[in-house]
Amino acid sequence: MKFAPGFLPWVLLAVLIILPALGLSPNITRLLFITLVWTTTSIAWNLLGGFAGQVSFGFAVFYGLGAYTAALLIDRGVNPYLAFMASAVVAVIASFLIGLPTFRLRGPYFAIATIGVTEAVRVVMSNLSITGGASGFRISEHGPFRQVHHYYTALGAAAIAVAISILVSSSRFGLALRAIRQDEDAAAGLGVNPYQCKLWTHGLAAALTGMAGGIYARYAGYIHPQGVFAFATSISILLMPVIGGVGTVWGAVLGGVIFGIVEEELVANFPQIHLLLYGTLLILIILFEPDGLLGLLRRLFRRYGRDSQSKEADQALWGRSRLEGREL
Amino acid sequence: MTAVEFINLLISALLLAGLYAAVAVGMTIIYGVMKIVNLAHAGFMMLGAYFNYELFEWLHLDPMAGALLSLPVFFVFGMGVHWLLVRWLPKSDQPTLSSLLLMFGFWLVLQNVGYLIWGNSDRAILTAHRRTLPLGPITIPTAGLVVFIAAVTCLAVLQFILHKSWFGRSVTALIQNPYAAQIVGVDHQKTSQLTFGLGTAFAGFAGALMAMLFSFNPDFGRPFLVRAFVIIVLGGLESVTGVAFGALILALIETFGILFIPAGYQPAISFGLLVVVLLVFPTGIAGLLKRKWRLA
Repeated sequence: MKFAPGFLPWVLLAVLIILPALGLSPNITRLLFITLVWTTTSIAWNLLGGFAGQVSFGFAVFYGLGAYTAALLIDRGVNPYLAFMASAVVAVIASFLIGLPTFRLRGPYFAIATIGVTEAVRVVMSNLSITGGASGFRISEHGPFRQVHHYYTALGAAAIAVAISILVSSSRFGLALRAIRQDEDAAAGLGVNPYQCKLWTHGLAAALTGMAGGIYARYAGYIHPQGVFAFATSISILLMPVIGGVGTVWGAVLGGVIFGIVEEELVANFPQIHLLLYGTLLILIILFEPDGLLGLLRRLFRRYGRDSQSKEADQALWGRSRLEGREL
Repeated sequence: MTAVEFINLLISALLLAGLYAAVAVGMTIIYGVMKIVNLAHAGFMMLGAYFNYELFEWLHLDPMAGALLSLPVFFVFGMGVHWLLVRWLPKSDQPTLSSLLLMFGFWLVLQNVGYLIWGNSDRAILTAHRRTLPLGPITIPTAGLVVFIAAVTCLAVLQFILHKSWFGRSVTALIQNPYAAQIVGVDHQKTSQLTFGLGTAFAGFAGALMAMLFSFNPDFGRPFLVRAFVIIVLGGLESVTGVAFGALILALIETFGILFIPAGYQPAISFGLLVVVLLVFPTGIAGLLKRKWRLA
């Protein structure tokens, strides 16, 4: 936040709004569109994983459910924007189904359960007949295909996500989430209800991810369970905020933008070493720069004596400042 | 369902339970000592399966011998992984974000290495063992039986090590109370490294055993990861007995579930069970029994 003076997000937004008027090639518009969709999911993951410290390996579930909901509704002639809202609602319901049993417990139950959910949902979706099963679903939307229109939808979603992220980050609720991440007992002792906070954050994140999935599905026109519900989708969604800087508003945005461009332009050309690259990146970030690119930038800036503000208590996220022997 | 069918299903559930216990036990001890959810467990299992496959293909080694050989090999491998990656993680009494993500990243690397070396087609070890042992109307698959015996023997040996050796006692102590254990002189770092090696050894061993029963590809371990975790939740973290107990319940439900649920949906069973268990017995069935015990 320290490098982004108040007006910078508005400048960015204005540039992104004006860009299509300057005449972008369809390929660049597509890249920007995909990047905006990814960024929305990255911000969503960061709400739960970054602020509240609950790692989910299952955001593909919301992305996929959102995609399918929107696809089914648009195919039946429902207004796309209504369909995106329905996507969000379906994703929120799914998030409650996952969160209600698992958030009651401490420990890694939630994280592991999310791996199971992704498996289970993909299996079910591959066998479901109304969505075309494993062979996927083709959306036929009436009216001409206008790429710029899709671009603005994605931009709107990303802007909403950033706004929510800023609001959460600077609100009492955001403080409660950070408290939960650092020490759940202490947070509960101070009057925070960890269970409800986690549940609502999960719902909020799911809504954004579902919406992003719906927007993607409408653009793509064809979706299938091995694509939107793939474990790789979950991996991508988790990787973005970690790359950018987990637990910060702009880290998630930065991660989404960089990942979107790198994924589309570079990594797509090397499908054989896809997982190897991501896995290595994850390991390197965790071991050497747990605060991601934003943390790296901050450190560089501090070297020039610019940024005197220390990293808040973000370190607690990584357990570094956890007092050893607290349990004794 | 006739009585014979029932007994046949029961036998296959039992055989499956032995295998599941071998899968889960490595994850259990690593989680117990280090509070790390070892997501790379699935990757180690996959490597174990290919290890056995390569030995069989190139040296024509009996898969059973290959599985036993995987124990020392993966023990050393696990110690190496601990030395290279795991020991740099911050210590905590709860699973941390960084440990989850680190092991996840390592799993992705292992998976990709698998794809690079062996491609994505399914492989299987085809031996002459694929016969069944007829006992009147009841049949027992030989391979399944051999795997079951191997798995149970190794679990018994592990149980013995955990209870009778200094290393085993320090593992138990660290699981029960890490701070008190360190006060009485348990070396956390050294024990962690050995435990990680042991857990990895069991992952490789379980993978090698499974290679004798199922076909596999580089994405092999993932469904078993969730199962292993369900078993841990069911059986509790304290003991090998708990793991065996959890494995038995899961195997019974999965085997008999086939009668009621279409086979295509079977992978969803373990997750459904996880949700039910978390809702009904949040401390696991072992915790429930223990509470009853204390009350009585």
